[in-house]
Amino acid sequence: MLLNKLLINYPYFAAVILFAVGAVIVLTRANLIKKLIGINIIESAVFLMFAAAGNIRGGVPPILDQTSPGRVYVNPLPSALMLTGIVVSVSVSALALSLVYRVYKAYGTLDARRIAEMKSEVRDRW
Amino acid sequence: MVTAIRDHLPVLVVVAPLCVSFVLPTLVRRLRLAEGLTTLIAVIGLSGAGYLASLVLSGGGTSTVYSMGGWPAPWGVELVVGSAAALMLLTAAMVSLPAVLFSVNHLSQEVGSSNRAVWFYTLFLLLYGALAGMAVTNDIFNVYVLVEVAMLSCCGMVAARTDSRAAESALTYLILVSLGSALLLGGIGLIYIITGHLNMGYASQELSRIWQDYPRVVRLAASFFLVGLGVKSALFPLHVWLPDALSCAPSPASAVLSGLAVKGYLICLMKVLYNVFGGSLIQQLALDKIITVLGMAGIIAASLFALAQDELKRRLAFSTVAQLGYALLGMGLVNASALTGALFYMAAHAASTAVLFLAAGAIVTATGKKRVSELAGIGRKMPVTMAAFTVGSLSLAGVPLFAGFVGKWNLLLGSLEAGNWLGAAAVIVGSVLCGAYLFPVIRAAYLEPAPSDDKRQDPGWLQKLSMILLGAAVIILGVMPGPFLKLARRAAVDFIAVR
Amino acid sequence: MKIRDLILKRITTLVLPFIQVYGFYIIFHGQISPGGSFAGGIIVALGYIAYATAFGVDEGRAVVPEKVTTYAESYGTLWYALLGLVGIAKGVPFLANKLAGIDVGVPGTISSGGLIALLSIGIGIKVASTMVSLFFTMLEEEV
Repeated sequence: MLLNKLLINYPYFAAVILFAVGAVIVLTRANLIKKLIGINIIESAVFLMFAAAGNIRGGVPPILDQTSPGRVYVNPLPSALMLTGIVVSVSVSALALSLVYRVYKAYGTLDARRIAEMKSEVRDRW
Repeated sequence: MVTAIRDHLPVLVVVAPLCVSFVLPTLVRRLRLAEGLTTLIAVIGLSGAGYLASLVLSGGGTSTVYSMGGWPAPWGVELVVGSAAALMLLTAAMVSLPAVLFSVNHLSQEVGSSNRAVWFYTLFLLLYGALAGMAVTNDIFNVYVLVEVAMLSCCGMVAARTDSRAAESALTYLILVSLGSALLLGGIGLIYIITGHLNMGYASQELSRIWQDYPRVVRLAASFFLVGLGVKSALFPLHVWLPDALSCAPSPASAVLSGLAVKGYLICLMKVLYNVFGGSLIQQLALDKIITVLGMAGIIAASLFALAQDELKRRLAFSTVAQLGYALLGMGLVNASALTGALFYMAAHAASTAVLFLAAGAIVTATGKKRVSELAGIGRKMPVTMAAFTVGSLSLAGVPLFAGFVGKWNLLLGSLEAGNWLGAAAVIVGSVLCGAYLFPVIRAAYLEPAPSDDKRQDPGWLQKLSMILLGAAVIILGVMPGPFLKLARRAAVDFIAVR
Repeated sequence: MKIRDLILKRITTLVLPFIQVYGFYIIFHGQISPGGSFAGGIIVALGYIAYATAFGVDEGRAVVPEKVTTYAESYGTLWYALLGLVGIAKGVPFLANKLAGIDVGVPGTISSGGLIALLSIGIGIKVASTMVSLFFTMLEEEV
């Protein structure tokens, strides 16, 4: 029964797995670039969820075609929303990468733990 | 022409700052012009917000609905200027104008070059436009987009200084907050999947009809919204990025970030929780208890953290977290007085914290001293700055006749009304703690002798003017809170009225 | 970053026009087919980035100076906002399309969509120039 539900809703299931994978990467990896990749994976999980929500089995792309009326169109709205989401994620990645570069130049490492250590050495303890 | 502008004001308050921010990057060599344009937009924003607020007040609290592109509600994006939106627009404009005035003639030395200063103004206007958008929008996907715009511009503003700590704290901020955005987007997706609407009103109607069919999805969506927007607005256990970010940012940026940006996200959270889920659903999902507990924990814990900080800006940053706890507490109590208190306190705290951060920034620029223990006798060397600082501190500590008191008083009434004695105790203890970490600064500044070798003085007249304006706003809000309180009360009643 | 390779350069010059035309095709057909300004803008930018990669950054910068990307970025978005203001000038809401009296044409043809085609052009320019300037910011290491 449960398996059946999973099989029918496999895109959502995949989204959950992707989300978990991304979260684990962000939370457990010290490398800043890997953290960014994890964030991108989480975002793709959410995009997948949206895109799956817009899909209708047997639907066609929602382009108005007067020669064959009465067809089932998939919902274009979630995909359009996700295009916006992708734009946002591209800009976040770009900004994050440039910041990573600045951090790398300043500290000479991409390891978040080492950076935290160096920071606490620099700052006086109070 | 005038009527056209008046009719379209809800969208113009959002578009005007964005338009100017698009043009600013082409003016990198003309700092004066960029400063002038930014100030102009801040003034226009203030008058526009004032006009919209007066419309809402005179209209008896009715909201103006504006359909983008002429597409009506379930299809198109709707902008709604109600009491809450007017209050937030007014707050945003009230804090932005002094922050811009403070930056003029001053910012280049804080961020390193005039090029970077122009970029800073670009980001500032983007943030301002996004905040105005968050205030007026009635569409949850729009909320997401505007939240992202605000987050990116905040991140840029935190990284505006050239030192390595600024880049590092901006990166931490960006990583944590983009996790929050993913959660927020997930929450929006779940709401869209089960209701089929992105418009808050329609989604709310649909949700109240069908939520019992999908109790787990609704719960998940609510927690996604709470955590997603909670990370962004630095609610207590999720605040770890805020102290670093605020202490590294240039002072106008810290003022705006602590005063407005986090409030914008909080208003979004409030809109989503009350306008989409609705008060009764919040109570049925027991979200109100979680929010109240988080709020109380935030007030007490962050105040205790603040006591332990010696760096002035970090102390103020923890104070911000603590004060956000008040807003959260008011949100969780689900009654009109508490919500009134929360909304008014957000406005009051915006002005008070902005003046504190600007004063702290002025002190750092003039003397290079960042620590509380180094500030002995500064009150006599920088009278205007410290006077403004004192006004802000008194307001945050909840002294009567200052803005913070009115908000805290309403919150106290609200907690008693809800029968939540712990909440009332937290409000009072928080105020005492707030006095405990802010008053030593004032005592050191005025009562301790200054080291004689220092030559300190107040900053330029624009910086003084901006601090005086904000201080005056804090006092006016405290002495005659009338219009603001009325807006807050109506907004609270509207929020509660959505089932 | 320089790759001295004759084959790479020749092939880039051969392919470049097609990439650009394809990108513009997608931008201009945004209102009647999948794709649109963001995807098209990226493709236009990618063509240019391919050129800059094959011929070296300096030569790439010579073709599109920093000033051009800055101005394109700013005015691409401003164009969008100004088109939105057309509605207000005509007394209908912001970004109104048919309501503002703009001819929306016959559905399915390239001239349909009214304002949307014009908006796509602005966004396409903005996206392409932003991608190019991001590419150069990352390369020139002056973040």
